[in-house]
Amino acid sequence: MQNFEIKSTQIDKIKKITTKEKSFRIKNLEFFKTTGFPNKRLEDWKFSDFKDIVDKNFKELDIKKVSSNIKKIDLLRDFEHNYILLLNGNLHSSNFDHEDKNKITLNPYDKSIDYKISKNPLVCLNHALAENGYSLEIDKGYKFNKVLVIYNLFTKDIKNKILNNKNKIKINEKSELHIIEYTINESKSKFINNVYESIILEKNSKLKSLFIQNNKSDGFFYKFLKNKLSLNSEYLNLIFSSGLKFNKLDIECDLVEENSRCNILSALFLKENEHQEIKTLINHLAPNCKSNQKVKNVLSSNSKGVYQGKIYVKDIAQKTDAYQLSKALLLDDNTEFNSKPELEIYADDVKCSHGSTSGNIDHDSLHYLMTRGLNREDSTKLLIKGFLSDVIEFIKNSKIKKFVESMFEKQINEH
Amino acid sequence: MLEIKNLQASINKKTILKGVNLTIKRGELHAIMGPNGSGKSTLANVLSGKNGYEISGEVNYRGKSLNNISVDERAQKGIFLAFQYPLEIPGVNTNNFLKTSLNSIRKSKGEEELDTLAFLKLVKEKSSELGIDEKILSRQLNVGFSGGEKKKNEILQMKILDPNLSILDETDSGLDIDALKIIAKGVNSSRNNEKSFLVITHYQRLLDHIKPDFVHVLSDGKIIKTGCGELAEELEKTGYKKLNKHNAEF
Amino acid sequence: MKQQRLEKREEYKYGFTTDIESIKAPKGLNEDIIKFISKIKKEPKWMLDWRLRAFYRLKNIKEPNWQKPKYPKINYQDLYYYSAPKSIKDKPKSLDEVDPKLLETYVKLGISLKEQEKLSGVAVDAIFDSVSVATTFKDKLTEKGIIFCSVSEAIQKHPELVKKYLGSVIPITDHYFATLNSAVFTDGSFVYIPEGVRCPMELSTYFRINASKTGQFERTLIIADKDSYVSYLEGCTAPMRDENQLHAANVELIALDNAEIKYSTVQNWYPGDKDGKGGIYNFVTKRGACRGKNSKISWTQVETGSAITWKYPSCILQGDNSIGEFYSIAITNNYQKADTGTKMIHLGKNTKSKIISKGISAGNADNTYRGLVDINKKALNSRNYTQCDSLLMGNKCGAHTVPYIKNKNFSSIVEHEATTSKINEEQLYYCNQRGLNQEEAVGLIVNGFCKEVLQQLPMEFAVEAQKLVGISLEGSVG
Repeated sequence: MQNFEIKSTQIDKIKKITTKEKSFRIKNLEFFKTTGFPNKRLEDWKFSDFKDIVDKNFKELDIKKVSSNIKKIDLLRDFEHNYILLLNGNLHSSNFDHEDKNKITLNPYDKSIDYKISKNPLVCLNHALAENGYSLEIDKGYKFNKVLVIYNLFTKDIKNKILNNKNKIKINEKSELHIIEYTINESKSKFINNVYESIILEKNSKLKSLFIQNNKSDGFFYKFLKNKLSLNSEYLNLIFSSGLKFNKLDIECDLVEENSRCNILSALFLKENEHQEIKTLINHLAPNCKSNQKVKNVLSSNSKGVYQGKIYVKDIAQKTDAYQLSKALLLDDNTEFNSKPELEIYADDVKCSHGSTSGNIDHDSLHYLMTRGLNREDSTKLLIKGFLSDVIEFIKNSKIKKFVESMFEKQINEH
Repeated sequence: MLEIKNLQASINKKTILKGVNLTIKRGELHAIMGPNGSGKSTLANVLSGKNGYEISGEVNYRGKSLNNISVDERAQKGIFLAFQYPLEIPGVNTNNFLKTSLNSIRKSKGEEELDTLAFLKLVKEKSSELGIDEKILSRQLNVGFSGGEKKKNEILQMKILDPNLSILDETDSGLDIDALKIIAKGVNSSRNNEKSFLVITHYQRLLDHIKPDFVHVLSDGKIIKTGCGELAEELEKTGYKKLNKHNAEF
Repeated sequence: MKQQRLEKREEYKYGFTTDIESIKAPKGLNEDIIKFISKIKKEPKWMLDWRLRAFYRLKNIKEPNWQKPKYPKINYQDLYYYSAPKSIKDKPKSLDEVDPKLLETYVKLGISLKEQEKLSGVAVDAIFDSVSVATTFKDKLTEKGIIFCSVSEAIQKHPELVKKYLGSVIPITDHYFATLNSAVFTDGSFVYIPEGVRCPMELSTYFRINASKTGQFERTLIIADKDSYVSYLEGCTAPMRDENQLHAANVELIALDNAEIKYSTVQNWYPGDKDGKGGIYNFVTKRGACRGKNSKISWTQVETGSAITWKYPSCILQGDNSIGEFYSIAITNNYQKADTGTKMIHLGKNTKSKIISKGISAGNADNTYRGLVDINKKALNSRNYTQCDSLLMGNKCGAHTVPYIKNKNFSSIVEHEATTSKINEEQLYYCNQRGLNQEEAVGLIVNGFCKEVLQQLPMEFAVEAQKLVGISLEGSVG
């Protein structure tokens, strides 16, 4: 693609940064300039050639800032909740009326930087340019009363823009937070959202998060999520991100101390040229930790689903219990599912297994439903729903569950 | 045959056997009974040489100390343990396992190893003596075996390996009356002046079929009472608690 | 040196060298060497041209470096590419004419040709260094129209077949080691089974790397014409050496309509000593093309040797209804490294593939399974079933599973399972109590773990394989 050039002077425009930070940013920018967008020659991007995708969809791209205004957004009425509103990735406003505000610290951007060098070009681009996002910290010993909804609003005027954002969530000891990241797309055009998010769970804390969209989007989303789990902490991530033109969720989860647990589940229904990849790397670095991944995809009309899941078990991580399952249903011609479930194990007293299957709808089941009076279309829908539903069972709150089910219903019916 | 003097055994810093004294002469069959947690299985494991226990005291087998003798060496010297929970080993054919085991023991005694034909003949002979269907031996070792089948398999192994000292660890638990009879037959048909048995059991009913020379009660890591067959019947009626109370005073 | 050898002889039965003088080409890899090789083998011009094309291409490509085991840089100029025992300069016409010293070597290896001739009826094509020494049973096979000879001989006597099929499955344009092989291959087996013929005996061949610094570059080509069947066994041994030796072979299999090729390998290369010194580098390219409808190719292997193993026997399932199978046991101990697996490429309709891989790591070894299941868009109704299991012994070793699954066809079914486990202490205790010592107990349990694969091997290999499994794990249980 011709028109994408970032001058190093771009970094000069970023105010109030130390010299150390500035040189770090410049270094990252230089790296991005030499590699460009990641292409399929990089092992991690083998199945999602980002460079190719960008070249095919964008004639130009720029990083100029957008200053958008919104009057008001329609809050979800299905259940009571707190909220944070992000406007094109920037922190706009928040409301924690249901909580003890003294326990919550919310800032527009986390100034602390991890100076680790990355070989991932998109992460480098983010390190170079990101100035906005949100940083949320929850004090010790606090459990939220209501769920927190993060409204991620993308406005009309971000055509051909590449937005770089950095987020941070820190849950201190013994606290618990449930988040729903709800993407609302008002943009009718293509844009790229490149996010770097880090999540720190201190001892005995819990974080449950859920990704879901309001509607279809022509956005191209990439999120690199770095998690660190301490003693006895628990992380659950439910991904229902169907409807995005392109989405790659790149999760790296470090189980640093004993008894930490990580669960990543997704149920996606991809259609019409959509391409979604879930990539996970679970590092079992301490004994007695548990990880569980279940990735389910239904694909139709030229869509492409990818799952790359790596489980790494260090030699001291004895009694690890790691489980991974990926299942795909291909509904018609021209769909593609690629999977690479990887195991790298150096400890011998562990329970690790993974499974991956892909195929079509079981004809016998279809036939059975049809003999009970359902037509082919309805039978197929029912089977798809059944296939994806066990992920929804992980939602304990009945109102939220109902909400997600209705969104799901919408996604399936549009088929 | 077996002389145990002041045997103490602990695991994970917990002392389970607290000074066991027991002498088994050649040709004798001793029964050990006792409440749960008394250390019966530990005794069986320690005698077989299982790793993981801290041991003090003396255990002499045929006049020689068993100290530092490994599990497989003890087996080769003629000590057999019928497990309470026989393990499954997938992919390993039972016949094949038995043949390997038998030949290993024969080799250590300086005897000639059996070839497959001779071995299968021996198996057929022993299994029909006991009334066990030999087809069970074509399956993978203990995989998918019912509780009864596992226990019968243990006794069949005992008949084939022909040990000097057989330790049966709760071989009767979970068996129906027919299986019990097979077990008893297996033991009784092996009894003679040379062979000794140590039968660990929870219930008295096995001893209706296998008459012991001596009955001991193991409680809290020590043998607190020794008697003859009648002791077992008495226990059946009165239970273990009374016995303990009786011995708590001194 | 000699004293060490005496001690080590117990460990490695085949660790010895023959004193026969060898003809060696001068060291190095250049156009002259290639011409030398071609000349000494009296090859026709078209063969020399083919080699040179491969050689020129070599200059433009690089050694691959994506595989996990890293190896010290190989100086290709520092190897001998041709070495043959002098006494074989003129080919013997019958066994009686074979150098008795060579025959002695084979007796030590346990494959006395005469003995085999009597008992098992297996035709043996024994390769000593880079030249085929004797080929037995040619007469019996010739009756059926089966051609089983060295590649060198095939080039002379059956050039039309060689021209047609050589390089058709592994082309000159393939990766580095395959191309290197195409340029400098010295010999290998050539098998052709004519239409409708079922090969009446297991074909086997033994390899051996003898002279110091001679990398061995075999090239095997097996063609099964319509409605035919052949089972081919490959077993290797190598002497003890302190310098690493390179083994980059190419094996091409072609199965036409309704034909079946069964290719079994029990690999026993020198693995390097307990500290990881010396040992063979085994970089092999094996590929089978199921060209015809209803054709079938199955690869069965037991890999226990080599310092570094790098091989991916693959099946290209072109013909409709064709079947590809891969059964493997890969054992690594001490400091061995293995990066092995398979590729099943589904192109035709109703194609099926089955992969059963058992990896066992012990000591400080590293064992990686790398597999690819690629279901092409047009491969309607295809099925794949993959099962990879790893057994870890101790916590200094590693097991790595990297399966790539690409499914572009909605009517196909792909199933993949992988588990990792260790040997259960309780299981070992049970075996011990039945008189088996640690080594025997581990051998028994591991053989049980690998049973599914061992069942696929032809009988005589199965026994050798079981013993090999036991020996390879010596010293692994603490």
